[in-house]
Amino acid sequence: MKELKENIIQRLKTNFADAVAGSEFSYNRVDVHVKKETIPSILFYLKEEMGYVHLSHISCVDWLEEGEFELVFIVWSPVDKVKVFVKTRLDRENPVLENIDMIWRQANTYEREFREMFGIQFTGLVAPDEFILEDWQGPPPFRRDFDTAEYAKKTFWNRPGREDAQDVRETISGRDGEEIPDFAKKYSR
Amino acid sequence: MVNDKHSQKIVDFIQNWSRKHSIWVLAYGTGCGAIEIPPTMTSRYDAERLGVRGAATPRQADVLMITGYLTVKTLKRVIRVYEQMQDPKYVIGFGSCTINGGMYYDSYNTINVLDKYLPVDVYINGCMPRPEAVLSGFAQLQKRIAEGRADGATQYKENLEWYRANQKRIIPNWVMPEYNW
Repeated sequence: MKELKENIIQRLKTNFADAVAGSEFSYNRVDVHVKKETIPSILFYLKEEMGYVHLSHISCVDWLEEGEFELVFIVWSPVDKVKVFVKTRLDRENPVLENIDMIWRQANTYEREFREMFGIQFTGLVAPDEFILEDWQGPPPFRRDFDTAEYAKKTFWNRPGREDAQDVRETISGRDGEEIPDFAKKYSR
Repeated sequence: MVNDKHSQKIVDFIQNWSRKHSIWVLAYGTGCGAIEIPPTMTSRYDAERLGVRGAATPRQADVLMITGYLTVKTLKRVIRVYEQMQDPKYVIGFGSCTINGGMYYDSYNTINVLDKYLPVDVYINGCMPRPEAVLSGFAQLQKRIAEGRADGATQYKENLEWYRANQKRIIPNWVMPEYNW
């Protein structure tokens, strides 16, 4: 298995100049970091030349502190029994990536979700604007700088007198001058 | 129909008595709570002995159960379903999510308090409520019907403007037929 993994990394490195091997996580997993321009070609190469025919998953990680999105393409080969994680970084301000749904058609669904939930644009993606959310007017909700609690408080307003959604116990104690026991304090929001 | 006050009382009693023993629930689950309905209906808890059974379409149903969390997208459909139902109709709020948002209180896409958008007759609390709690909720609804206090539909008719304003506040693109009696 070790030889096979090294072989995969070597083969990808010789064909793609910007491919960098990532750290080792588990016995049947290979991590490769590439630039975003290489994504379509490396995935096409993995599928057509190396037998990684199955796209297991595409996931997106929001690295807010570094100002980047990380897209992870997980592909699987039934012959090698190895999963290859192809990772790339996008600029958070202007996230654009090449559409890959001509390689795997199911990528279309993932791309629509990323477009709606993270605001990542895919060039050449042909799909309706809305995916899951209906009449959504706020910012993309899966971004880490989107405050869901604040948004929920504003959109699904509270009853007058309960604007801060605090514990009822606090309201009552404030009105009647009652003391809240210590064990109850840690449960109040 | 009946002008005499005392006769009306007797007619109401008979009406409520018969309504209370044939609660037909619309087979429509909005959230995870729908998983507690099959054990309630099947042989172990057997809700049908109370007259509770499923109905296929909104026009045949008496009770709309909001089982668990309700997204804004589903709320649109639920409002249409509720307005299609014929009198007498009741709403049961099922689980914590319909009471105050429950574990989804800070979610961007689920409503917090159901009572702002639809008139709720009975709330069943718990996350999830066990079938015993569901049966207790139905028993409570029967009690309210027998006393003539399950008047959510009347409240909805009388305060339609208030409910509509709340509904339109979270559903910006309102493309639904206007409901009038």
